[in-house]
Amino acid sequence: MILAGALMLTLMACQGTDPETRPIQGLPPFCQEVLPQVDAFLGQEEQPTGDRYGGTAVAGGIGAIPDGMNGFALADYTGAQHMTFLNLMTLIQVDEELEPRPYLARSWDVSDDGTELTFHLRQDVFWHDGERTTARDVAFTYLRATHPETGFPNAAFWDRYVAGPEGVQVLDEFTVRFRLHPHAEFLDPWRAMPIMPEHLLGDVPPAELAQHPYGTRCPVGNGPFAFFEHRPDASWTFTRNPAFPPELGGPPFLDRYVYRIIPEQSTLHTELLTGEVDIQIAPPPEQAPRIIQAPEARLLDFDFRSYAFVAWNARQPALSDPRVRQALTMATDRGEVVEALLGGYGEVANAGVPPFHWGYDPTLRDTLGYDPEEAGRLLDEAGWVDRTGDGVRADQAGIPLEISIKFNPGNQQRRDIAEIMQAQLAQVGVSVRLEVVEWATLFEQITSPGDRNFDGVVMGWVTELKVDDHDLFHSSKVEQPFQWAGMEDGELDMLLDTLQLLVDREEAIPFWHRYQERLVELQPYTYFFFPRRLAGVSSRLRGVEMDVRGEWVTVADWWIPEEDRRDRTR
Amino acid sequence: MTGYLLRRLLGAIPLVLGIATIVFFVLNLAPGDPASIYAAPTVSAETLEQMRRNMGLDRPVHERYLRWVGSMVQGDFGTSFSRNQPVRDVVAQLLPNTLILSGTALALAFMMGILVGVLQAVRQNSWVDRGLSVATLFFYSMPSFWLAIMLILVFSLYAGAVWNWPLSFPASGMISVDHAFMGPWERFLDRIRHLVLPAASLALVLAAGIARYMRGSLLEVIRQDYIRTARAKGLPEWKVVVKHGMRNAILPIITLLGLYLPLLFSGTVVVETVFGWPGMGKLMVDSIFQRDYPVVLAGAFLFAVMVVLGNLLADLLYSLADPRIRHG
Repeated sequence: MILAGALMLTLMACQGTDPETRPIQGLPPFCQEVLPQVDAFLGQEEQPTGDRYGGTAVAGGIGAIPDGMNGFALADYTGAQHMTFLNLMTLIQVDEELEPRPYLARSWDVSDDGTELTFHLRQDVFWHDGERTTARDVAFTYLRATHPETGFPNAAFWDRYVAGPEGVQVLDEFTVRFRLHPHAEFLDPWRAMPIMPEHLLGDVPPAELAQHPYGTRCPVGNGPFAFFEHRPDASWTFTRNPAFPPELGGPPFLDRYVYRIIPEQSTLHTELLTGEVDIQIAPPPEQAPRIIQAPEARLLDFDFRSYAFVAWNARQPALSDPRVRQALTMATDRGEVVEALLGGYGEVANAGVPPFHWGYDPTLRDTLGYDPEEAGRLLDEAGWVDRTGDGVRADQAGIPLEISIKFNPGNQQRRDIAEIMQAQLAQVGVSVRLEVVEWATLFEQITSPGDRNFDGVVMGWVTELKVDDHDLFHSSKVEQPFQWAGMEDGELDMLLDTLQLLVDREEAIPFWHRYQERLVELQPYTYFFFPRRLAGVSSRLRGVEMDVRGEWVTVADWWIPEEDRRDRTR
Repeated sequence: MTGYLLRRLLGAIPLVLGIATIVFFVLNLAPGDPASIYAAPTVSAETLEQMRRNMGLDRPVHERYLRWVGSMVQGDFGTSFSRNQPVRDVVAQLLPNTLILSGTALALAFMMGILVGVLQAVRQNSWVDRGLSVATLFFYSMPSFWLAIMLILVFSLYAGAVWNWPLSFPASGMISVDHAFMGPWERFLDRIRHLVLPAASLALVLAAGIARYMRGSLLEVIRQDYIRTARAKGLPEWKVVVKHGMRNAILPIITLLGLYLPLLFSGTVVVETVFGWPGMGKLMVDSIFQRDYPVVLAGAFLFAVMVVLGNLLADLLYSLADPRIRHG
């Protein structure tokens, strides 16, 4: 019982954080130096007044943000959202129509030949420690992100930019110019890449940037929310940045915003219903009815940038005929899958261009619908016939049509997709063997060019707001890790190349439509669905709007009526 | 005694090193490499190669091993791949959380288990004994994740949002979001409130097992001749049970304590995950899935140390309970 006594003492000794001054002892020296400067700068700024200002909002999600607010490390979805909408700033944002709009850059111009891009920055943006954000920060961010030693995971952002010091030029304190090769989506990287502080990280060797304590222990951003505290695997706390430029909406309404990590969805759901959490990020569809019924919460659903599919390895003899791949798709009732797995929150997919994309072809919605007879006819045509009466089709040599579908454990949706396919394909005489393979192993099996040890694999992609399938289907990538399908098609190559060069959308739309048609004809994947993203939002939290740009796109406008605020948080 | 301790501790060094070595090589034999969690169509092969270099994975295995042992001896466990922080910092931030949860749960489990076991043994075959037997078997056979979810359902969701009981417990986390705005006493209560459900779902299952052992062991002792002698002397029954009976009956329970002690460090994945408790159990499992070798190795190392210490502690407690066992 000495143990129990000792524990009591431990509990007592665990000091909470003082709301005004944060504890810095125990933090790396870098943080002990910068955090007091942040507190000093933000403390001397005047706090806004008004009915809507105040309160704490809590969002809860199952994923941690392991790499923190570090634009040079790989960001998971949640991390990227917090960086671009809360703690840091990007040069541009996109509006509801996904058209670029000014943010840190107040304007930009492009030379006539499309090879020079000049950004004019705002002059009233300060890092949370009081330093002004300038063109040097932008150049620094670009140079470090493209520096090979940084190991910046999304280096492909910059494929169309002239690499290295020749590619960027600081014209004056607030003007920076980039040189690039003409490309349809030349602005997109600046929507995704947060600008990082040169005055704090300029001396850090590139190879150490990802591990620098800046990211996980004491990020100093310039966005509407300043970092306050990070409790690993538990929470991230941000406070209002009172110095955020009025022209960009000014300081956010909330005093504090907390992101809590709650790895179990049913627990997270409980926290939403009991009011401990104001936003449940991405509840599974089966919880949707409960959220709709609950008086204290409402359900939002919006477009999301992901899709689920089964990739077919066309290098395998049995799967080399596009008619066979089409038959596999048509013998699967994907509409039923959307109902069963997504509760209707989603849409059947026929190509990798999602519905929110301007190049999406809505007329393809009903192609390759569930039609087992037509699937059977296609298989007959391709020479796969049930010759022995055992219910399994075989080719002329008597080799049965048996394929394996692999998936990784721990993802119920993928398992369900595989099992539904297995059952439905059996009805048209295709024998499917399911194989569960641990993620890292599975990944190696499908991405090693010499190996490709699979017939079909259940996977999902998360896309950017733009779509570029070059790595997935272009014949020049057939020996690269992600050309799973093994496509080598001249027309597809031409389309993939052209789509990335057409700047004019009117001109590009016919090509986008043809591209989707070609995917339907070739069926490198059986596309399953574009899920809609869900969010459970407490009814006391106002101003929450979510769309394909993400959950946090309006976070600076979230507010809580005074009478509904948590009592102790002022 | 000091000599014995010293011998045991010295003997543990090769054991712990051996375990760590085996884990190191097993991890390196497992397919998949840590950089592959970053792999995506937008990530070029050169970038992945650079990441491997930044993580030190481009060196041959034996060189990595020697380097790892060398820095580990100096207390440096390297940098976590998936968290971009020194492993020491990661563990230092999460280990105290696990100690609080598992420590409370263990203390509760042993208190409840011993109490229930003794009560049952003393009142053997009474309705109290039967009732408690059913209860202990019920909890003993219950998967802890299920118990955890049921506790949340009743004491958080229904108590808090449906029935509006005066007392409900938070379903997750260690502290409330407004913890920073509370007074010292409120903070303490806030922590206790958050501790109740996760500690209970761990402790109930453990306690049930301990109670079964305690009951069986005490029943065996109580039938011995010397207990009859003690009763014949006219000692009050509680003295017979506590002073004479317990002393011998407690030995198997001490063994259990030695076995459960590593739990203090390893935590439990399931309970930590369900209650969103930021601890070692979840850290280890996440790290294994992400091939975060430095964290897994440090965890395996600390776990091995805890097993050795747990056994040592159990052996020392034996000698306290039973004077015939003496370590010279």
